Amino acid sequence: MTNESAAPVTVLIVEDEPSMRSFLRASLTSHRYRVLEAESGQYGLQLAASHGPDVILLDLGLRDLDGVEVARRLREWTQTPIIVLSARGREQDKVEALDAGADDYLIKPFGMAELLARVRVALRHKAALAQSGEEPLFTVGELRVDLAKRQVFRGSDEIHLTPIAFRLLAVLVRNAGRVVTHRQLLRDVWGAKATDTHYLRVFMGQLRQKLEPNPSKPRYLMTESGVGYRLKEDNGS
Amino acid sequence: MSARGMRYGSAVLVVALAALAAGAVFGRSNREDVIMVYLLGIVIVALRFGQGPSLVAGMLSVLTFDFFFVPPYLTFAVHDVRHVVTFAVMMFVAVVISSLTERAREADMRRAEIEGERLKTTLLSSVSHDLRTPLAVMTGAASALLDPASESLSPEDRRHLLSTIYEEGERLGRLIRNLLDISRLESGAVHIKKEWCPIEEIVSSALSRLETRLGDREVRVDVGDDLVAPVDVVLIEQLFVNVLENAAKYAGEDSPIEIAGRRVGDRMFVEIADRGPGFAPGDEKRVFDKFYRGSHQSAPGAGLGLAIAKAIATVHEATLSVANRPGGGATVVLALPIEGAPPPSPLGEVP
Repeated sequence: MTNESAAPVTVLIVEDEPSMRSFLRASLTSHRYRVLEAESGQYGLQLAASHGPDVILLDLGLRDLDGVEVARRLREWTQTPIIVLSARGREQDKVEALDAGADDYLIKPFGMAELLARVRVALRHKAALAQSGEEPLFTVGELRVDLAKRQVFRGSDEIHLTPIAFRLLAVLVRNAGRVVTHRQLLRDVWGAKATDTHYLRVFMGQLRQKLEPNPSKPRYLMTESGVGYRLKEDNGS
Repeated sequence: MSARGMRYGSAVLVVALAALAAGAVFGRSNREDVIMVYLLGIVIVALRFGQGPSLVAGMLSVLTFDFFFVPPYLTFAVHDVRHVVTFAVMMFVAVVISSLTERAREADMRRAEIEGERLKTTLLSSVSHDLRTPLAVMTGAASALLDPASESLSPEDRRHLLSTIYEEGERLGRLIRNLLDISRLESGAVHIKKEWCPIEEIVSSALSRLETRLGDREVRVDVGDDLVAPVDVVLIEQLFVNVLENAAKYAGEDSPIEIAGRRVGDRMFVEIADRGPGFAPGDEKRVFDKFYRGSHQSAPGAGLGLAIAKAIATVHEATLSVANRPGGGATVVLALPIEGAPPPSPLGEVP
């Protein structure tokens, strides 16, 4: 799926490395995205306000402002999807940015295919948010989840989940394709006070036992090490 | 007290002990033996505490020897010129021995420096080769594409050059990542964040990271969904990735890989085994050395994977060991101590 809709989708790039910007610009314009560029966090905030981009790519290693801070300030007034670009081995930064409201992340170095897939997921999620509250049917591989009827099928078999396991799956389905942090899952499933990741991991293991054909080689419920989980989608990521 | 003060204090103490011991054992009649005890004291101070303290010990020895053992007793006066010679000898011994030990100490330090330099040079030469090769290929391929004459290249050739640049970039990235990892782990710059986690989750995450590397080979996992341990999830996943990558690289494409985990008392064992050629005799220790690539010099990689895995085990106070399996193949075992128990579930419903 390329960007073929009539009005071009605008992507704002906030990144201080010129060569990184030129790679992003080349990849995105060749797939018919319109590109805005900011080489600093301050200018990025200005452009976001003046041009209202559809997606924001935000580098976490900016010189003038902490990328996490930029994400937080953006979230004060806009729900535009934010994808953070970060170096490997900085799990804490990623988690902070995601908890501050960023939607997803890409670890440098990444290829064009990965970049485009993340942008598509972000756009789709934005469109889904804009739709009315009706919960769609989600399918990936053999797995089918009907959130409205609270039903889960693997192939033709209905799978019975405990209420908490279903809530956990529902959060992942609503964010399908995107990473969901441990903290977001704990908050959405158990409430604001839950902080212990251990039982979240145990529940996730149980969910895998029930949903995955081979739980030790999961195809749907992917672990994002040190960050959280991601439910795979059929197309895109 | 400062280290310096401590050394001088010790010198005074040794001389006092020498004086006491000499007086108690030999008394004033055997001055030659007393002198030997004093000299022994000076030698000890020189060897243990260095030049300054040993000179002080020499002077103190002369003074206390004069005071206690040379008539008239309990004064610093000297009637017999022979004793002045004795004093001179004592000081001379103190000076000579202390400068000898000082020189030996300097030589030791220099030798350690040279050793360190030599080690650094070896590391540097093996790293710089691995860094330069992909860089040279990338620069060369890119310059060929920029050259106006490249217009005549076929689309396949251009694509080939581009994919070479891409692959070499990936290789360079992997190497730099490994070098950074090993130096961060070894310098103690890594803060480990332990969380209770099912080992199955970590193993499965490592396996999905290696999906393309493992290909179609059979991977049997027998870990059990109730095996949990307090670990740094990101690091232990890296450990599994490196060990599995190593198995995939050396064991051949047909070799199945078996991963088994169990808890025995307060230790957890995870074993990763293959049916490849196993380790060559004598390799068991060296496989964890940096840049060691066994007898398979032709295999790609810089020889850092298992060194990193070992360093990760070490920061967890765990051990990583290798052995050959009966019936052929290699096995790598992680033995990790488990302290305490996971926190009780605050989340209501227990699965």
